[in-house]
This record gives sequence, structure tokens and C-alpha cells, in this order.
Amino acid sequence: MTTYRLQVNGKQHAVDVDADTPLLYVLRNELALNGAKFGCGLGQCGSCTVLLGDQSVMSCMVPVSGIGARPVRTVEGLGDARTPGVLQQAFIDEQAAQCGYCIAGMIMQATALLEKTPAPTDAQIRAHMSPNLCRCGTHMRILRAVRRAADKLAAGGKR
Amino acid sequence: MDHARRKRHTGWWLLLAAAIVLTGIAFGIMWRPALAPQTAIPSFDEARIERGANLARLGMCASCHTADLARPFAGGKPMETPFGTVHSTNITPDRDTGIGAWSPEAFTRAMRQGVSRDGHLLYPAFPYNHYVRMTQDDVDDLYAYFMTRPPLDAPARANDMTFPFGFRPLVGFWNVLYLDDAPWRPDPGQSAEWNRGAYLADAAAHCAACHTPRTELGGPDLKRQLDGGEAEDWYAPALNKNSPSPLPWTRAQLHAYLRTGMAEDHAVAGGPMQDVVMHLAQADEADVAALAAWTHSHLAQAPARTTPAQTSGPLPPPAPDDPDLPRMRLGHELYTNSCARCHDVGRSPGSGAALPLQKAIALYEPDPRSLIHIVDDGILPPDGEPGRWMPGFKAILSIEQAGALAAYLRKYGAGQPAWPGLDQQVRKARAP
Repeated sequence: MTTYRLQVNGKQHAVDVDADTPLLYVLRNELALNGAKFGCGLGQCGSCTVLLGDQSVMSCMVPVSGIGARPVRTVEGLGDARTPGVLQQAFIDEQAAQCGYCIAGMIMQATALLEKTPAPTDAQIRAHMSPNLCRCGTHMRILRAVRRAADKLAAGGKR
Repeated sequence: MDHARRKRHTGWWLLLAAAIVLTGIAFGIMWRPALAPQTAIPSFDEARIERGANLARLGMCASCHTADLARPFAGGKPMETPFGTVHSTNITPDRDTGIGAWSPEAFTRAMRQGVSRDGHLLYPAFPYNHYVRMTQDDVDDLYAYFMTRPPLDAPARANDMTFPFGFRPLVGFWNVLYLDDAPWRPDPGQSAEWNRGAYLADAAAHCAACHTPRTELGGPDLKRQLDGGEAEDWYAPALNKNSPSPLPWTRAQLHAYLRTGMAEDHAVAGGPMQDVVMHLAQADEADVAALAAWTHSHLAQAPARTTPAQTSGPLPPPAPDDPDLPRMRLGHELYTNSCARCHDVGRSPGSGAALPLQKAIALYEPDPRSLIHIVDDGILPPDGEPGRWMPGFKAILSIEQAGALAAYLRKYGAGQPAWPGLDQQVRKARAP
């Protein structure tokens, strides 16, 4: 066990874990941030997507020892039920969840897109979201929610 | 004085004559006439179209000529070359934007000489220097296949060539150097299957287009046939005695690899080879077996050698006296915490485990490009196709980490000398 210092959603944390512990386990088991979900554990489904620096990563694939000084952001950092972030509100407005298991990952994947490409085309949204799977078939609503958030931000909305 | 003047005049006349002759030769090299458009598309019998379909798969035509799966053969796919970006063209039988107006003669001339129906020279990104050796019957089969595809309206996209290569007639000089129109000859000392494979590999499947290195002028380096080339910034391994494979291939493994992209103990197809496999998977099985037989005869020339691929188990930690110890330690840590979780868990290939990395060909190649692409982008099956899957680590590993991992894998996975310029290659692959 080693002590790792992590910055998650702007807060500093120290965790005692093994070097190969995936970031996902640290978030869920050590920090009680349960937004990111364990789906496949192989980097294939995207339900554990979080931001590492300015990049979206599948946190089940990130050993804690490889994080270094890069800040981590999770869906909890975007807002809560009373004050949802733009993407969270857009997902609510479009009712873009059925079982909801993939949604935290979807929202973080979309966050990475809108930070780099504030006015994406529909094709860019599709391509960017393609690593993230939804087994309920809510894809069209998810795409609409990302579109809605992008339009709101383009119209001067606050993230 | 008169004598001297006459002598000077003769000199000028000779120079002028030489200039005229040279201009004539240059004109002959660079100019080709337009061929008359055909008024109607001929009809073809089903068997011919079927054979053409098989040849189109063996030749992987869609790999370049299909940019959008919903619009097969409509072209428009950009290809980066050292001379600029070339866009593939519409080879559906659309009369205005495709090849609907091309007679069999015009199609044959394009396939054999690289000349468009209107007489302009095609860039050798279109491998007519291979198709020139197809039999006329095969060219006719391909013609039948393309002329019976649904016509799609798709005008050619403008190419973006560096000066002076936008001037297409210059390709004529490339043709003088590299277009060998001698017909393909079988080797009577080899089996019929081997000869079938050799013919397909050389002509339709144009294997050497990627697996033979190119000269400065973009032509095949004929002294180094199948000695390893490149495609889309991936290293295309040598298929001759210089094969980097750490273990000898069997014919059955090659057959499985060409057909499915997976060969036990060797590799999962990555990069541009995925497209090749996707096409060969749909081609005639006997033809793929022939290609495997031919490829195997070349790979079998590689001498047997002792490599870490003959061992099993996880890769070792760096030696305590390693001169590059901190970097190698970082690489080993990344290997243990990221790679080994799938690559060295001791499961069989059917249960989600991946190739033990000491067997990975990418570690043994003369440059690190393929390994860097695999680490950064993973291996994703082509759109809509089944296949093995590895996640990419570009967002997870920093440039320093990716470099340390590659350096460690090269030394302690393959036991090979360090790649020169590894860090520049990692940075180049990550450049936006």
C-alpha cells in the first residue's frame, strides 16, 4: 500500500491503496463518489468515464499510480440535484436515461467534447460519444441532450 | 572567319534539334489521349460479376474507394502521401461523376497504365503498377463488377498536392521508372496453389505496395522486395528473410490471420491491416489459402532465432544495474499496472486475455510506430465489424509515460536494442 495524493473535483485527497488500483475503485470505494459505474472493467463500455486533466478516460483502465498531478473530475463535480450543470439539466430535460447506468459516463464524455468543441456538429457528437455504450437503447435521447446542452452553451449559458 | 561562323551555326541547329527531340520524348511520356465515352453500359453474365466481386475483395478496392459505408465505391477518402493528399475517386458507374462513361478499353488502360478516360494521369496512390499484371480476363471481371454497382453521384474532391506534384503529367516520369508492364509469369517449380497466391499477391492484392519500402520518388525499392514498408504511418512488416516475427509462422496461422485478423501466438491485425483482413474474410477461401501459402514461403526464409517469445510468464523487472534505471522502472510499473492485467494473466485467448507481450511483433519491428499507435489508440475492429478489442491509452498515459513504456517493452519484452528517436516518434504521434 502506498499513499497517493489526488485532486478530485477540486478537492485534495490522500488514499492508501495498491499501485495498480484502478482510479474507478478509488473513486467509489475510497472517496464514496459513486457516479462513475463499473460496467465491464475492460475499457469497453464507458460507464466509468471521468475526466483526467482535459481528457475523458475510462477510469477502470487508469492505475492510480499513473495519475500523477493530473486533476480528476467526476459527474459529482458538475452539479447536484438542486443545481444541475448544463449537461445534467439537458439530460433531465430530454429524459435521456432509462436504467441510467451509463449516464454518468455519458455526461462526462460529453463534457470533454463541449470543453474542446463548444459548437459541435451532430456528426462530431456522434463520433465523440461512440465509445460509450447504452444497453437500453436511449442513444437518440442522449444525442439530443448533448445537442441541447451545446446549443444552450452557445447561446451564452453557464456551464 | 566564315568557317567559324558556320561552325557556330551548326552548333545552334544541333541544340535546337535536340530540344525538339527531347520535347517530343517528354510529350510522349506525359501526354495521353482521351478515349471516347461509351453511350451505354454493356450487360454482363452473373458468373463474371461474381468473379469480379471476389477480385474486388482480394484487391481491397473499397478500402480506399469507400469513404462512407453507406455509399460504397463513391470515393472521397483522403490519403496522405509524401507528395500531398490524394482523394480516391468515384468508381461507381455514375455517368457524370463516376466511371459510367468508361468503355472496357478505358477501364483497362486505367488499370494497366494509370490513365483516366479523359487522358489525365492518375497518381500512383492507385496501385496500377500492380494491377498491370492482372490477366485481361480478371480486369474484365472487375469491370463487370463495378459497372453493375449502384451509380452514385459523387464528384471528385480536389487533391492537395505539394509543389510541383499538382502537375499530373510529371507522373509520366514515375511510370518510366516504376511501371513494369511485363506480364506475370508463373514459377513452374512451385505448386499451382503457390502460383495462384503469388499472382494474387503481386497483382490484385498488391501486398508489396505496403510491405516493400519506397524510394524517395515514392516508387517500390525493387532491390528490397517485401523488406518492410509503411502504410498510414504504421510499419508494414518485412515478409522476407528479414521478418521481425519472433516466432516462425505456420501456414495455418497465416491463413487464420489473413482470414480473421487473429493468429494464436502471433498477432491481432492492427492499423491498415485490419482493412485487408476485413476484405479477405469475404473473399474466396481457396484464394486466401493460396495467399497464405505464398506468404508462408517467404516468411519461412527467415532464420530461426532465440527470442523471449519462446518464454512465458510476465515480463521481468529491470536489472538493478540498468543504465536507464528510473525510466525502465517507470516502464515496468506501467506494464504491470496497465498492460499485464490483460496481457499476462495466464488465461487462454478465448477468455478475454491478450497476447503475452514477449510474443508481440510490434516490439520486434525496426521502428516503434506500430507499437505507439497500438498503445495510444488501441485496436478497434473496423466500423460494424466483429474483432478483438484493445482500449487506447492516449488519454491515460502522458508522453513521458508512453515513451518509458515503449522503451521498457522493447528492452525487457523483446530483448532488442533501443529504438533510435523513440521519444520524437511518441511526440509526433501525439501532435494535434
